[in-house]
Amino acid sequence: MVTTAPGSTTAPNSPTASAAPAAAPGRVARGQRIRQPLVSTIVVNGVLVLAAIYFLLPILWVLIAATKSPGQLFNSFGLWFSDSPQAWQNLVAVFTQDGGIFTTWIVNSVIYSAVGAFVAMVISAACGYAFAKYVFRGRETLFSIVLGGVLVPATVIALPLYFLLNAVDLTGTYWAVLLPSMVSPFGVYLARIHANAAVPDEVIEAARIDGAGDLRIFATIATRMLMPALVTIFLFQFVTIWNNYLLPLVMLNSPRTFPLTLGLTLWNSQTQRDPMFYQLVVTGSAVSAILLVVLMISLQRFWKADLTAGATKG
Amino acid sequence: MATIAPAPATAPATRRRPPVALFVLTVPFLVMFALFFVAPIVYAVVQSLFATKSSGLGFGAPETVFVFFDNYLAALSNPSFVESLGRLLLFSLIEVPLMVVTALGLALLLESARARFPRFFRVVYFVPYGVPGVIAALLWGFLYIPATSPVLQGLAAIGIDINPLSSDGVLFAIANIALWGFAGYNMLILIAALNAIPSELYEAARIDGASEWTITWQIKLPLVRPSVILVTVFTIIGTLQLFVEPLVLRPLTTAISSDFTPNLAAYNQSFAQGNPNLAAAMAVIVAVIGFVFSFGFLRLVNRKGNRAW
Amino acid sequence: MFGLSLNRRTRLVVAGTLTLALAGGLAACSSGSSDTPSDGSPVELTFQSWVPNIDQAVDAFNASHDDVQVTLETITAGPDGGYAKMLSAVQAGEPADVVQLGYDAIPDFLINDALEDITEYVGDSEDLFVPWQWATGSFDGAVYAVPQASGPLGQFYRKDIFDSLGLAYPTTWEEYYEAAKVIHASDPNKYITAFAFNQAPWLIGLAQQGGANWFGVSGDAWDVTIDDESTMKVAEFWQKLIDEGLVKIEADFSSEWNADIQNGNVATWISGSWADAILRGTAPDTAGSWAVGAMPQWEAGENVSATWAGGSASAVLKGSAHPKEAAEFALWLNSDPESVNILTNVGAGWPAIADTSEITSLQSDPEVFEFYGGQDIWDVFAESDAAVDTSWMWPPLSSTLFASLTDNVKSAVEGGTPLTGAFEATQTDMVDALEAKGIAVN
Repeated sequence: MVTTAPGSTTAPNSPTASAAPAAAPGRVARGQRIRQPLVSTIVVNGVLVLAAIYFLLPILWVLIAATKSPGQLFNSFGLWFSDSPQAWQNLVAVFTQDGGIFTTWIVNSVIYSAVGAFVAMVISAACGYAFAKYVFRGRETLFSIVLGGVLVPATVIALPLYFLLNAVDLTGTYWAVLLPSMVSPFGVYLARIHANAAVPDEVIEAARIDGAGDLRIFATIATRMLMPALVTIFLFQFVTIWNNYLLPLVMLNSPRTFPLTLGLTLWNSQTQRDPMFYQLVVTGSAVSAILLVVLMISLQRFWKADLTAGATKG
Repeated sequence: MATIAPAPATAPATRRRPPVALFVLTVPFLVMFALFFVAPIVYAVVQSLFATKSSGLGFGAPETVFVFFDNYLAALSNPSFVESLGRLLLFSLIEVPLMVVTALGLALLLESARARFPRFFRVVYFVPYGVPGVIAALLWGFLYIPATSPVLQGLAAIGIDINPLSSDGVLFAIANIALWGFAGYNMLILIAALNAIPSELYEAARIDGASEWTITWQIKLPLVRPSVILVTVFTIIGTLQLFVEPLVLRPLTTAISSDFTPNLAAYNQSFAQGNPNLAAAMAVIVAVIGFVFSFGFLRLVNRKGNRAW
Repeated sequence: MFGLSLNRRTRLVVAGTLTLALAGGLAACSSGSSDTPSDGSPVELTFQSWVPNIDQAVDAFNASHDDVQVTLETITAGPDGGYAKMLSAVQAGEPADVVQLGYDAIPDFLINDALEDITEYVGDSEDLFVPWQWATGSFDGAVYAVPQASGPLGQFYRKDIFDSLGLAYPTTWEEYYEAAKVIHASDPNKYITAFAFNQAPWLIGLAQQGGANWFGVSGDAWDVTIDDESTMKVAEFWQKLIDEGLVKIEADFSSEWNADIQNGNVATWISGSWADAILRGTAPDTAGSWAVGAMPQWEAGENVSATWAGGSASAVLKGSAHPKEAAEFALWLNSDPESVNILTNVGAGWPAIADTSEITSLQSDPEVFEFYGGQDIWDVFAESDAAVDTSWMWPPLSSTLFASLTDNVKSAVEGGTPLTGAFEATQTDMVDALEAKGIAVN
């Protein structure tokens, strides 16, 4: 695995570019818009609109399907409402089925994702920072092993992990999903790259001269400089945990501990016994899609810049 | 492996004390990593060398015996498992270029001067990233079936009958789900890289009379190359983990068997057929292939140019 | 639920414990606790099932018992991963006490040594159950499971469509073939039935009804005859229907299938007795148009039936801390009239108890009968249940059988190769799988 230069001076353009994204090129380009030929403007925007339709189609479909009765679900045109919409009725069904377990699933998903991602952020930032700022024997080997963790398929880990966690009586509990979710090798990688780029050695040196301990330097000075990277690590891990399916599938028994993904597939498997569950699955998916759309839109501005500008330069 | 030597100015400062801080900072992660990544892998490797055997009619407790590489042999001599490896390769050949080209195309279009409302489109393209793979597959499952799909109904109305879940179409159907979910995310990576290109470069090029095409090919693409490589590696890794989509679509079509992909085969051996030992062997094979592919790809691009990332 | 406020100390303790466990051997297992409450508090049991609404029966048990309280865990259906989790839990020493188990899965669990011998607790209740169903849970004189319900096969059909085409109900497969031609000729979108390539139990039921008996024991080894003559006869019959385009190749329970059931594009469905609830739920608008008939016969005048891959039982997992109470719950759940009434109403299947006179919904159920134009459909299934070939026996590795059969039939249908080849391939797969496990095959 390719690694960045330890302690090398930062690349000329990376930290500033990531801190102030899009400012310069956009403005220059926009100034020239008048000169762009009309045809290519139409083509470009036409493609963008088509792409938008593509990305929105399934979401639109599920939002409309969520207003239908189970009978209409299979018998009416998918992209328009039926004559007798029953969105409210479907929503009530979703939130009252099995004693309101859907709400529990949402809360569980939030707990797993938020707690898991927060701890992952803290420990991988600390480790990545250490990789960037300390020279020690075996550092590169260790780092390569950690990076290798990114490549391991989840199916390899899930079942053995079940037996390991069961040996300490943790399977079936929230811990069984939380603990493995707290490990993000990719987070370590991002933290190392960013620490190289955004935390100058001179600052650390100056703080040491002022008598600050290494841990305090990390906790106060470095953390602040690494903030964009921390946010990125948190969000990345949040979505990863939110989308995870196999780990909770293997670890959890009681539906009261399920996250949304597992809960909805549980309902989906019951469509084999009772077709009423189709409508629950559809409406449940619609609700979770709305939640995620809101989440994505509100978090979008944190995503755009830092992940890469840092990750691909060094 | 390309490592530049530490800059002399900083090295002594950090080497002076191999301090307690280093341990405090690294140990929490490394311990967790050892427990939740390394230990299960070791366990899987160990497990893959054993098998449970019954005798007679099979009733009574089975015994666990050490079988060396029998499980690996069994996996690799099983035609449908080997076939699933080939299918995975084919899938990568479809998925990786499709993903990279789409993400790059969208990024370039959005960052081009001609795009209106780029912020709006960026959000729209990114939204599916937050939809879990299981749910995305469920939704597309509805859109792949004529009874519920407005798209297929529309196409049928104008005389085009396609079946995305036929054996010819199913890999594309799955590739589409992955593309839908991750193209926006990869696009953001590339947009950030495009944004990091200093604007002076464009201005200089324009003064020299370069067209937008020339700027794209001569300036933008070479400068975002590291990000493109990153996206490619991510996509390769994601491709090798192909699992949830075929799992969800399997009941809907004759074209997806219980060992459609190696991961699905491992899952089935482990979860449906009660043979975790064979499953472990299959999973280890997939992991090894993943390492070979990813490192091989990085080797390749690193040899061609300078260091990738 | 636990509090989420973990301090670093707790984390370290957890991490330390994990490390110790790892150091102590990767396969370390904790043993199930065997605490017997002596303070008068009730025994707590967990029960895992995937039957929708079975919680009503559990609630009824809890309401009528003070000394034992049962918690229901709804899990993924056994073949979809539920069984694997049960087996892992047994291996790990933390099993649920009572689980839902298909008849076909019982031998699988026995070869994994995962079931508790409950003969001493329920052995004398044999008389309460239909003999063939009771037999699925007994091996070598020991009892491992209490039967719950089965799925005797019948044919649900759109009587209105048959009537409008002037078709009589097909009592033989030959008549069935003729009806298929008429139905498809009347409308190219209409088919007599969906060929459910995804449904191993359905395929097995059809073969069983054709006289196949795939598994037997002679001496100390298994006889496996998935490619026997009867099976080939059945395969060739369906091959003919497929070749002539008279059946729609489509997964049952899929959304497409649901649509076809609603709009009459699929006119019949051979299925278990529990399918009635599914039809009523899927296609409420077609109420009154349906009827149920006995299985078409291979020889006119015979009365041979089969089941949707057996049925379902309750078993006590090995390692349960309270096998006695667990066995008693399993017995109550499947034989107490109150419980069996509930199970029948929630669609668990045709009850396994011998005396169904107390099961009110099987005596008269106006709401159900109305959907079938006033027909007492339970008569059909009662007769079907009595006509099941009771010598059918499930082998170990039935999950392999199901997966292999489905995969082979899928690829035959997909590649246009003969269905007979799919059964032959399944024969090979099954023998290989058994032998690979060290199980003797003749």
